[in-house]
Amino acid sequence: MASRQRYDFLLYGIFVAAILVAPLMLDEFWLNRIAKYLVFGMLGVAVALSWGYAGILNLGQGLFFGAGAYMLAMSLKLASPTSLQQGSDKPVPDFMLWNAEPGALTQLCCINKGSFIWLPFQSQWFGVAMGIVLPVAIATITGMIVFRNRISGVFVSIITLALVLLIRLLVIDAQPLTNGFNGLTDLAWLTIGAFQFDPYSRATYYLVAIALSLVLVGARLLVSTRAGLILQATRDDETRARYLGLDVPSYQIFFFVVSAAICGFAGMLYVMVSEFASPTFMDLSFSITMVVWAAVGGRSSILGACVGAILINMIEAKVSETKALVEVWKAVVGLIFVLVVLYLPRGLGGFAHDLLDRWRARNAEVVPDEGLVVAESRDAVAERG
Amino acid sequence: MAATALTINGLEVSFGSVKAVNNVTMTIAEGELRVLLGANGAGKTTLMDLISGRTHSTSGHIHLHDTEITNWQEHRIARAGIGRKFQIPSVFRELTVRQNFEVASCRNPSVFANLGFGFSRHALARIEEVLAIVDLRDKADVTAAYLSHGQTQWLELGLLMLQDPKVILLDEPTAGMTAAETRKTATIINSMRGRHTLLVVEHDMAFVREIAERITVLHLGEVLAEGDIASIETDQAVRRAYLGSRSIS
Repeated sequence: MASRQRYDFLLYGIFVAAILVAPLMLDEFWLNRIAKYLVFGMLGVAVALSWGYAGILNLGQGLFFGAGAYMLAMSLKLASPTSLQQGSDKPVPDFMLWNAEPGALTQLCCINKGSFIWLPFQSQWFGVAMGIVLPVAIATITGMIVFRNRISGVFVSIITLALVLLIRLLVIDAQPLTNGFNGLTDLAWLTIGAFQFDPYSRATYYLVAIALSLVLVGARLLVSTRAGLILQATRDDETRARYLGLDVPSYQIFFFVVSAAICGFAGMLYVMVSEFASPTFMDLSFSITMVVWAAVGGRSSILGACVGAILINMIEAKVSETKALVEVWKAVVGLIFVLVVLYLPRGLGGFAHDLLDRWRARNAEVVPDEGLVVAESRDAVAERG
Repeated sequence: MAATALTINGLEVSFGSVKAVNNVTMTIAEGELRVLLGANGAGKTTLMDLISGRTHSTSGHIHLHDTEITNWQEHRIARAGIGRKFQIPSVFRELTVRQNFEVASCRNPSVFANLGFGFSRHALARIEEVLAIVDLRDKADVTAAYLSHGQTQWLELGLLMLQDPKVILLDEPTAGMTAAETRKTATIINSMRGRHTLLVVEHDMAFVREIAERITVLHLGEVLAEGDIASIETDQAVRRAYLGSRSIS
């Protein structure tokens, strides 16, 4: 086992090194693109954690991604030049003004009925903090209700799916506050000190790459703690775990929340890179797409799910931009999914593990297996006795 | 007379109009190995469900030493000191044998206390001991799903040894086993004697003779007889209850 873990960390090291040297070979356009895919890789980590390790198929990961994205986007919207050009000395989002009732005060506090909730977002760091706090809060409450009541399996998927659609509807419906379908656009760049993160710069790429590396290694370490082991045990047999005295829901809630926090963090990074937040983040198709990434990459491998997400997006981009395949690129991508599910049911990560095990087994054959000899002689003794 | 480990007093539960367990009263002394006998539907498994918290009783009391544990949640009862083996072996199938044992050795149930790595030297030594007792040492790194039926049952017994509860409930530990496997199971259970108080549901009379001290016979949810193996085999009420079905031996 120990040596397998060593190989595992070697692979993680290779991956981190690869994403850190990648900018040397990329132009601005691809730098920005790959940064987006790295954010999706982070979503793969979150899905692997909850689906692969906790056995919780959350079909509403987009809710946490969206929550993180909107929180930061609100701050960046207020910091945007467009918000400062609305005839007030304090920032007011442009869309609020377009929709304001005649004679309304052009102040953030009272331009419409709910606009005051934007007030604290004048501080960028409030938005950043809320980008983690809000997903964590939603996940904690949902997790408590779901897991304390011993809801499991497909019902968790249905509840999370319904929840993301519900919140999406509310966000679209609250048009005066959220700009509805259009989402939040024309955002400012994230500013730390005097430094601005231009989404097409290396700095932004490195911010995303380092964040992903930390999340990746952090998640890997987390599942190899005792708590991570117990979590996998609750996935395999909740009842057994309960009868060993373990408080199963507290483990499920904890990892559900960690997964949500990672999604929220990813949402914020995505806003930085793509300069918008939109209700499409909470579309059902996006949450399901995340699950497909993890399935292709291998849900029982955190690195696998992460690489899966990045690879699929790169393939999609390449295929959809190849002239000969413009009409059929979706079919090509679909075919890849079908082939993976048919021939690699445990995804690319599982395939890599199998290869590694086989390679190690072949190396081990050279050395005579002492354990086997002992076992045989013991059997012989048992037969005589 | 040793102190009592488990006291059951006037325990009842009904499902609809059926009284599955009716006014059952029994006490089990510390360190005792008690066998529960009874035909299908006699209420043996239901009684175990009641003790371990899976089913809530409608009346009556259960005490573990001096603590009343009636109708607590399962994980609290488990932590109070009652372990249970299921009729259908229940282990963590996608973990290796050793990982199964590691999970069972986690003493502190809280998430945050378990955010560290590794196990104490004492815990690891105990895992090796148990691996030897249940004879799974050369399977330690095998995924539990690939074990044979008998090995899975022993793995579950090993989980219980590591959980180290005062009282262990075993529901048909030899179900589906070959004669050789049954014998090995008897050895394992005999090695648990003394460390734990055991309550065993079993049908296989050869096996019962090998392990039993005292036997309680349940019939239609009630205690029909209690005593050592010789007195049970000659008990008239027991013979009458089993008449029509096969004789119990």
